Amino acid sequence: MRLFPVLISLAVAAALIAGVLHLSSGDGGERALGLSLAFGALFGLVLQRSRFCFFCHTRDLVDDGDPRGVLAILVALAVGAASYLVVIGAWLPVPSPERLPPDAHIGPVSLVLAGAALIFGFGMAMSGSCISAHLYRLGEGSPTAPFALLGAVGGFVLGFLTWNPLYLSVISEAPVIWLPHHLGYAGTVGVTLAVLGLLAGLALCWARPHRGVEKACSPSNLSGLSYAIFVARWPVAIGGVAVGVLSAASYLRVGPLGVTAEIGSLARSGAGLLDILPETLHGLDGFRGCATVVKAALLSENGLFIVGLIAASFAAALTAGQFAPRWPKPVDVFSGLLGGILMGWGAMTALGCTVGVLLSGIHAGALSGWVFLACCLIGTLLGLPIRRRLMTARAS
Amino acid sequence: MSNFRLAGGLLVGVLLTAIMTPASAQQGPLVDAEWLSKNLENPKVRVFEVSVDPGIYERGHVPGAVNINWHTDLVDTVRRDVVGREKFEELLEKAGVTKDTTIVLYGDNNNWFAAWGAWVFNQYGLGDQVKLLDGGRKLWEKQALPVDTKAPSYARSDLTLPPAKPELRARLPDVLAVAEGKKDAVIVDIRSGDEFSGKLFAPEGSKELSIRAGHVPGAKNVTWSKAVDPETGKFRSKEELKKLYADAGVDGSKPIIVYCRIGERSSHTWYALSRILGYDVRNYDGSWTEYGNSVGVPIANLAGTVWQGK
Repeated sequence: MRLFPVLISLAVAAALIAGVLHLSSGDGGERALGLSLAFGALFGLVLQRSRFCFFCHTRDLVDDGDPRGVLAILVALAVGAASYLVVIGAWLPVPSPERLPPDAHIGPVSLVLAGAALIFGFGMAMSGSCISAHLYRLGEGSPTAPFALLGAVGGFVLGFLTWNPLYLSVISEAPVIWLPHHLGYAGTVGVTLAVLGLLAGLALCWARPHRGVEKACSPSNLSGLSYAIFVARWPVAIGGVAVGVLSAASYLRVGPLGVTAEIGSLARSGAGLLDILPETLHGLDGFRGCATVVKAALLSENGLFIVGLIAASFAAALTAGQFAPRWPKPVDVFSGLLGGILMGWGAMTALGCTVGVLLSGIHAGALSGWVFLACCLIGTLLGLPIRRRLMTARAS
Repeated sequence: MSNFRLAGGLLVGVLLTAIMTPASAQQGPLVDAEWLSKNLENPKVRVFEVSVDPGIYERGHVPGAVNINWHTDLVDTVRRDVVGREKFEELLEKAGVTKDTTIVLYGDNNNWFAAWGAWVFNQYGLGDQVKLLDGGRKLWEKQALPVDTKAPSYARSDLTLPPAKPELRARLPDVLAVAEGKKDAVIVDIRSGDEFSGKLFAPEGSKELSIRAGHVPGAKNVTWSKAVDPETGKFRSKEELKKLYADAGVDGSKPIIVYCRIGERSSHTWYALSRILGYDVRNYDGSWTEYGNSVGVPIANLAGTVWQGK
């Protein structure tokens, strides 16, 4: 580890801690902002250190036969589903038919959701990451991430433009299905764990003996420990457990994890200024999920979450020597923008992305989360061959 | 023997008083946070949170408080009306409320919706049992008093409520009769000055609009927030409230009707005038969304705003 990057990382960490402390000394509303910043920073740290990425993990398994990442996602889903149950069980002791857990991401299930998730998965493959991973890669200096996020803002605007007809023809009639209403709490967590176990089994069957072995490190002494924490990729189980626990902790104290609400708000407010959006987006503000409100305050919970995420990922990447900014090539710009637009449209229409709908949805026992998982996977598998061709074209 | 009985009776009396004291110690229509924090275990006290933001109650409420959802529990969800008797009885029985429970209501937004709740409880004859937590959720949080995230469960009670009292509620014809000078009463418009003057059709972010701006002719404008201390959110003292309203020509010598846009902020003023000052007050819950949309009613529009459909 060189000294200079570590000093910058420490400065960023100090700024984040100061921000959290400053906000936490305010009134009730500000305390929630401080907590959001802290959760965002922890999420960024965990994502960066465990290389948590829905797309890359799928690709690693499909292309290289490396199941570690997919297992990390499955662990995150399992731990989060169990932890959410602890929270929801305290709030709604019985899943009575007329009630839903407050602001959990339980969305309407329809063909529109399936289509949006498919397009999202395809866009993810095009741009090389999902939106949350682009955010932490922004902190690593990725040449594609800025264009993917810019594209996502554009995609959100397209999503707003197509929202009203889709809402009136399909989404308004779509059922909002919360599994505990049908299976009870025990049934839901049982089925969730069984399906995740099955998927883990499939991933392991698909896996091929792994070639690259990471540098073995013994955390028995200080340098070994600091290498394991700050430089080496965190083991699958640790990353997965951390994401799952963080998801439930955030739900308990602030709200479900989600990364697109702020992007969507920026897009909605920006497009509102240009006067290109329909005056009313029917029913949108009544849905749970990363629904996007017109920006009212500079500091919002989701905004601070994103700031924390990017800053912590930057600090973590810098310390690990993984901050590698590179001048973007045309193919980075192209794949980023195209993939970003598709992801933005998909995330707006599905009311969230791999974090907001898939992760937070499955954790909460929402059928919409599972539909997103299945369709997003199909979209990714469809997009993978195209991405391979795009990347080899660049190499040649 | 009779001395014994007398002594025994006295002892029982003293003990009963000691047990009963906590709940009855707080007289009047308000309780403060300190009193409530000492009475959380008191089985004769039942606390209800009436907040409008979803997820607020679940992420931390006054320990033991029962959640009331304003949009579904206190109204008829199909007709525009307050909750029906059977549904309301069911809600209270589930929370174990009886005829001698002290009911404490509190909520977000300066107790607006808790005050609406208090108005509904009053209509069903529970007025003497209902109190507002002065300062509401905001002050409880500000004082960093403990909160809980568990949903409590109570043994079901058996409660029979009388039909809703119509005399606490003003309807459009009542307001119209006053506006046209056929009935003597004073109308208080508790909205902001800009809504009162007609400059604004509705406050920022409100979806329910009226297609006319202004106010009921003759209404006095005392914005609801003048009745609270902005720092703590607590109601001002009885004397200050008396003066505030008397200065606007509302001294309790005539019956009073209060209104706002949808009837919930005006419940807050209804509480101050009716429960704290003891005046004869009715809440017009149809408020401006009904009056300002009615055909042919007289309106005072000082700003002269013309509705353009935007």
